[in-house]
Amino acid sequence: MTAVGRRLERRTPLDNTRRPLERTWMHLDVVLIVATGLLALVGLVMIYSATRSGLASQGASQLSDVRKQLLFLVAGTGLAVVTVVIDHRIFQHYAAVIYLGAVAALVLVLSPLGVTVNFAQSWFLLPGGFQIQPAEFTKVAVIVMVAAYASTHEGDLDLRRLAVCLGIGAVPIGLIYLQPDLGSVLVFVAILMGVLLIAGARLRHILVLTLIGVAGVVGMLQMDVLSQYQRDRLTTFVTGDDEVDEGDGLGSIRYQTSQSKTAVAAGGLTGTGLFNGTQTEGGYVPEQRTDFIFTVVGEELGFVGSAGLLLLYGVVAWRILRAARLARDLFGTLICIGVLTMLMFQVFENVGMTMGIMPVTGLPLPLVSYGGSSMVTTLIGIGLVLNIHMRRFT
Amino acid sequence: MTVDSPRLRIGVYGVVVVSLFAALLARLWYLQVLSAEEFQVAAITNAERVVYEEAPRGRILDRNSVELVRNRVSQSVAIDTAEVSSAELQTSLNNLSSLFGVEKSVLEDRLEDPRATPYTAITVLEEVDEVKAVHIGERQDEYPGVVTLDVTTREYPYGSLAAHVLGYVGEINDTELAADPETYRPGDHVGKSGVEQAYEADLRGTPGRTVYEVGADGVPLRVKERTAPVPGDDVVLSIDLKVQQVAEQSLEATLIERRSTATDDKTGLHKADAGSVVVLDDTTGEVIAMASWPTYDPGEFVDGISQARYEELTDEGNGAPLTNRATSGGYAPGSTWKLVTATAALQSGLITGASTYDDRGTYEIPDCEAQCEFQNIDGVGSGRVNVSTALQVSSDVFFYDLGYRFYRERESISEDRNEVGGNAFDDTAEQLGFGASPGLDIGGDAAGSVANPEQRRSLHDQYPDKFPTRAWYPGDDVNLAIGQGDLVVTPLQLANAYATVANGGTRFSPNVGLEVREPGGGPTVRTVAPRVANQTVLSAEVRDPIMTGLSLVTTGQGTGAGAFAGWPRADYEVGGKTGTAEAGNRQADGTRTKQDTSLFVGVGPMDDPKYVVAVVMEQSGRGASAAAPVARAVMGQVSGVEPSIP
Repeated sequence: MTAVGRRLERRTPLDNTRRPLERTWMHLDVVLIVATGLLALVGLVMIYSATRSGLASQGASQLSDVRKQLLFLVAGTGLAVVTVVIDHRIFQHYAAVIYLGAVAALVLVLSPLGVTVNFAQSWFLLPGGFQIQPAEFTKVAVIVMVAAYASTHEGDLDLRRLAVCLGIGAVPIGLIYLQPDLGSVLVFVAILMGVLLIAGARLRHILVLTLIGVAGVVGMLQMDVLSQYQRDRLTTFVTGDDEVDEGDGLGSIRYQTSQSKTAVAAGGLTGTGLFNGTQTEGGYVPEQRTDFIFTVVGEELGFVGSAGLLLLYGVVAWRILRAARLARDLFGTLICIGVLTMLMFQVFENVGMTMGIMPVTGLPLPLVSYGGSSMVTTLIGIGLVLNIHMRRFT
Repeated sequence: MTVDSPRLRIGVYGVVVVSLFAALLARLWYLQVLSAEEFQVAAITNAERVVYEEAPRGRILDRNSVELVRNRVSQSVAIDTAEVSSAELQTSLNNLSSLFGVEKSVLEDRLEDPRATPYTAITVLEEVDEVKAVHIGERQDEYPGVVTLDVTTREYPYGSLAAHVLGYVGEINDTELAADPETYRPGDHVGKSGVEQAYEADLRGTPGRTVYEVGADGVPLRVKERTAPVPGDDVVLSIDLKVQQVAEQSLEATLIERRSTATDDKTGLHKADAGSVVVLDDTTGEVIAMASWPTYDPGEFVDGISQARYEELTDEGNGAPLTNRATSGGYAPGSTWKLVTATAALQSGLITGASTYDDRGTYEIPDCEAQCEFQNIDGVGSGRVNVSTALQVSSDVFFYDLGYRFYRERESISEDRNEVGGNAFDDTAEQLGFGASPGLDIGGDAAGSVANPEQRRSLHDQYPDKFPTRAWYPGDDVNLAIGQGDLVVTPLQLANAYATVANGGTRFSPNVGLEVREPGGGPTVRTVAPRVANQTVLSAEVRDPIMTGLSLVTTGQGTGAGAFAGWPRADYEVGGKTGTAEAGNRQADGTRTKQDTSLFVGVGPMDDPKYVVAVVMEQSGRGASAAAPVARAVMGQVSGVEPSIP
């Protein structure tokens, strides 16, 4: 109570009304912005390294992928600035609209308007050769929606309210499962679990949900719910990747994991040096500029560079966690936790699969992997966190 | 739920995030630091390909540094299939086909070369016209992916000259590859015979090595490491170009000339189908010239030779031009062998230089059983002769008598012809290098054989069908004494035996190589030292009567006097020995399957012998008529007394 009293004492209504925005901007989390920027910068360099020789052999400019990624970065930053400027409480009001819009996009992508890439119908084709993946943006929409709903009940989530929260998540999860995009499904599950834990779900409920989740995965593997392709990815992780057996689907995934591990390990302590990785420059790692971008860091920058990259993510996690704690309301806290969960689950899954300790699922490394939808979504998420952090006193 | 609950839960959440990061870092440490080595090896083998480039072979020079074999840069047309689409490839093949007038299917076959790799263009045409090569270079749109390459090939400025000595180069075969897999790779060129083969290690050089880093699709990304090829060293031979030229020209011309002369028995003309010349420096064992006819052009092997052509070159019916008769031709030496009989008789004390015998034209073996009477080639006696004059006029009877006396000298003689032992004659033949390979540095030198009782018995016991006779008779020794009978020698052996007597008893293993030099006229890398195979001291009592006899051959009543008529003896005294050897087998009608072999071995100068010239000509008649004139021409050149080529 004293703390609240002191806070009220120090702030005058006059101050607040005269220069509200200036005061607010002063609380912008520069550390988070710098860490985010550095990660994006590392991404640009790594994409350049991964694509230059391949592009050159096709006769294209070595910089063409880097230029596109830079464009995504600029677009994402623009949207993030917009996100920061709008008071997050306005998002709370319009949460349902945002959510329903995202769900509509997911329905639309399953229609003939969507296109299939890598076995999943997850994309809209935009003019200029760009693709957009609505599942990415839906992640933020679900975070906002669940946070908005859970925060209205101030940390008291009984079974009925919990069920509503799960329902909010279940609709997009179901739609994304139809694409099918198993990786994104897992991200949504992680986001829901993370937000619900902080939102005040009962521990026994969470325990039961976890058990159901585990049973669900086992059940999916037992019954023929998953496609062979998805099952291969999961079972390869379990059965190991020692044999390189090209030709069948399983072999190519083993090959992918084996080449990816080889690349990371070949870096050693200090790496082969930028643009000097034999695995990277030789194009031995499939999907390297997107999902396997971490192998470039691993091979060319070694343990020192890889650990440094993880450290940057650590800084981002620390700042978001800090924002979550300092947020002036539960909605803000839950948004921060949702964004944090979204980012950290992807980092752990992505880096983990690169090193062979997680199954191969098509998840990008946030801010670093080549790809517009992921970049923009991540930056909007960071924008939300900055927004909440900045307005912690208002 | 307490108010602090969200805060606590955020704390728990933070711990989860930290432990996930810890897991990633631990795995990263394990992969990159603890087990990096095994993965690094995998990454390197993943990404490296090595391409070798053959080094230019060293040159082969004569003793005066004249190029006998050199390298020539020629143009090849190759297609870089990795660079072009299949439509472009068809365009190129069609245009190449019409430009060079080669069937398109032929080009397509060559593209199927199993040795082809994506790192090098595949050669489809060799030795192309330079103007056409330039044309291709200027019209790359008509010839997509086609490149012209400078290829170094062997060139023989003197054509077939010394072909058997130089040998030839060809693509390595599986056996050669298996013998030295460290040094060679499929497609390499290696020396197949002669100097090219024997001095392969010097001539070869060190191939260039380029390590490419390649992508997953096998396309080279960059050069990681490159070592330039190191050219092979030059090999200098003891061969003298001019002497070699005279030997070959004179041999060929005389053989052809002999074909228009009648045989002694007037049954027809001489066939004169093959022959050889060996010139040795008797003080060192250096081979100054070595010719064999018929011959071949080693240039034929440069671009690979067809199986049919190779069979032609090795066919006995064509005289097997690939065979070096100087080193592997086996002949009865005829009277040239009398050197051996004389040396053995003088050495063993059977006779002295003063011992005489009355040659009445015929010789009858005492206590004879079967064939008892032997006669001189014309049946005419020479009267009383000593060893020197017997050599001069080639008295067979004198040597028949020595043959019989050698028989009597054998260690054990019994009524059982199977118990006959060895004697000094056998020993001398061995000392002078017969019955064993001379040890020529470039190899290919046959051992020949000299019959003796022990050898005959063991051959019979091993192969009773092939060698029906086991017993040793007096007639065997009598026949051997004049170089007939169970006797096979090579021209090189014959020359080497004369060289041994001429220099006083040192038998060298002859060398064709003189020294190895760094490429392009650089300093000497190593010298091929003379090699002594056998050392005996021939005393003046042994050597002098023989040298006198050899000297007399080219004068007065000597068998070689005609051939050497007009030779400036005062300036350069030359000696020698003629030989006319029966060849082939006797047929039912009394004629033989082959005409007589004509032989001559010359030595000069007689006061301090330096050169030995051995000439052997198949089916050419008397030694004096065919071989001796050739020997004179060669001796004239090597001595500088009568040079045909200034």
